[in-house]
Amino acid sequence: MKKKVYLGVDVGSISINLLVIDSNDTVLFDSYIRGQGNPIAAVQKGLKELEQNIPDDVEISGVCVTGSGRSLIGAVVGADIIKNEIMAHARAAIHLHPDVQTILEIGGQDSKVTIIRDGVVVDFAMNLVCAAGTGSFLDSQAKRLDISIDELSNKSVLSENPTDIAGRCTVFAESDMIHKQQVGHKQEDILMGLCHAMVRNYLSNVCRGKEIKTPILLQGGISANKGIGRAFSEALKADITIPQYNMVMGAFGAALIAKNATIKQTRFRGFDIADHSIATGSFKCKDCSNLCEVIEILDSNEVIGRSGGRCGKWENSYETT
Amino acid sequence: MNKIAIPNMGNYSIAFAAIADAMGATPWISPTTPEIVKLGYEVSPDSLCLPFKIFIGHFIKAAEEGVEYAVMVNGNGPCRLTYYRQLLQKILDERGLKMHIFGLGDTGIKPPIIKHYDPPFFKFWRGALWALQKMFLIDEIEKLAWKTRPREIKKGETSTVTNQCLLELEAAKTGIEISILKSKIFERFTAININTDKKVLKVALVGEASVLRDKYLNHSMEELLGGLGVEVVNYFLLGVELKNIFFPHLSGKHSKKHMLEIAKPYLQTKVGGHALDSIAHSIICGEDSYDGVIHLCPSGCMPEISIRPILRKVSSDYDLPVLECSFDEHTSHVGLVTRLEAYIDMLYDRRKKNGKEHNT
Repeated sequence: MKKKVYLGVDVGSISINLLVIDSNDTVLFDSYIRGQGNPIAAVQKGLKELEQNIPDDVEISGVCVTGSGRSLIGAVVGADIIKNEIMAHARAAIHLHPDVQTILEIGGQDSKVTIIRDGVVVDFAMNLVCAAGTGSFLDSQAKRLDISIDELSNKSVLSENPTDIAGRCTVFAESDMIHKQQVGHKQEDILMGLCHAMVRNYLSNVCRGKEIKTPILLQGGISANKGIGRAFSEALKADITIPQYNMVMGAFGAALIAKNATIKQTRFRGFDIADHSIATGSFKCKDCSNLCEVIEILDSNEVIGRSGGRCGKWENSYETT
Repeated sequence: MNKIAIPNMGNYSIAFAAIADAMGATPWISPTTPEIVKLGYEVSPDSLCLPFKIFIGHFIKAAEEGVEYAVMVNGNGPCRLTYYRQLLQKILDERGLKMHIFGLGDTGIKPPIIKHYDPPFFKFWRGALWALQKMFLIDEIEKLAWKTRPREIKKGETSTVTNQCLLELEAAKTGIEISILKSKIFERFTAININTDKKVLKVALVGEASVLRDKYLNHSMEELLGGLGVEVVNYFLLGVELKNIFFPHLSGKHSKKHMLEIAKPYLQTKVGGHALDSIAHSIICGEDSYDGVIHLCPSGCMPEISIRPILRKVSSDYDLPVLECSFDEHTSHVGLVTRLEAYIDMLYDRRKKNGKEHNT
């Protein structure tokens, strides 16, 4: 008999992460793939990599998909459970650090704070309509300066005298950075200043009114950036823990959720979907005045799922945990 | 034709249409559509609130279809709604649309709209009474749907029954027809198969009236929550609202008098709109140990935005999780669903942690 393993997929705005655990919660495989605007291709790539890297004697017995693209990718891979990313991140954090009280999570487009007491989520907040203080902004600034994200990370921690950058709005932050660079500030000071500005923005917008207690975990794509970790610990005057698997915590949480759910027969569509040609089409639902644009996910002309409706009648139904 | 456009107030539009009918006018009502939202946004100053943009969108659409009159409430107090009627009229005039907007409220015993249509006394009051009957029945339908939806076995059945009832109510003409329909409605809801043992969460929706009522603006929040196993209570009930307007001295849990009293420790000045109601209702929910409160706030709404910090205080004082939701025309559906799902998961976890059973 094959060993049972569980797959978690986190479909974020910038990356698609896959993670597989066995029934002892040991991580067998994890990957972080930049989606580059095509989540379906990215998840196919991830599955291919996964197939090559896990032992032959295991069998995927449950799949949970999380992240903002969860309903689309859930249909593509054949998810048993669809879960919001806030709960997935919290699940993984509590698993790795049972005493955690605060999770700071900054992703590509969303930034969230989750407050945990006694191992239970008691409060959370998410950024509203502003992208200041999210990973996308750091990305675009790294691109503008023609340095990689790793370089940005390593350079920023070298700064001894961070520049003050106006961080309220990304557009103004960018003009302020350009201004500071023309005045002659050192690049590492500007980069660290940017990290400080982002953290300031995040703390005053997302964490407003929340009681931030230690232990504090920093996770999500941005946690790879050492400058952000430094800025957080300076601003909060506390130690910031960066958990193992910090980049793929959402996928880890999803895998844990899949493992703990009672799934009799998984709907996982198999590794060979990596070679299928999956396309999307759309139509306008005219059943009510909302006129939703419903997206159909097609696997060689067979409809495998729909998303985009507001009332939920077109979407696949999933098990609840 | 003597057509009159009525702003969308969700299902209550049916009752408003009945009043227009009693006046001898032909009502023009429409659900909010993407087209109306777009029309509204194109002509509105950006700093104004979402409800304004929707009002003007509806009126432009009506005017383009040849409707000559419209009706709009005259607000009072610090909310900008006070001057919305004049502003709406000005925008329509500037665009060369020939539509006259009548104001309602604070316009004397015989408001201009009644002077204009001058309906026969008996016919009007009989019609108005029927409209009231319809309004109270809409409240009943809503309440039944809130209770049934989270417990239904066949997904979507409650919404189907609700829509059917509302369609028939819209078509009902006389008081007798409405009364017959009333008994049918109760039968239909009892006929829905429900899981009576299901433990459901109880969550209240508070906030600004048009996002509470317009299902397009709030992304059908009642249906979304019902699908997640939540019994909702939407705190904009027109019946209660009218009672508070016409009989402000009545007592009772949701009376203006009581609400002013319990909100007093948090808010002593007028901020307009339904801001005080949002605070008072949240306090009532805290006292009645609801699982949570969702605050619906349109972007640009001064009253509701100004009470956000107060709601946070109420939330910590009563250990009542309050979820802030902000709406504009670009509100992402996925983002909203993520918040709601996480919020509901959190409420379930809290219940498990507190070992609290719900007092239904």
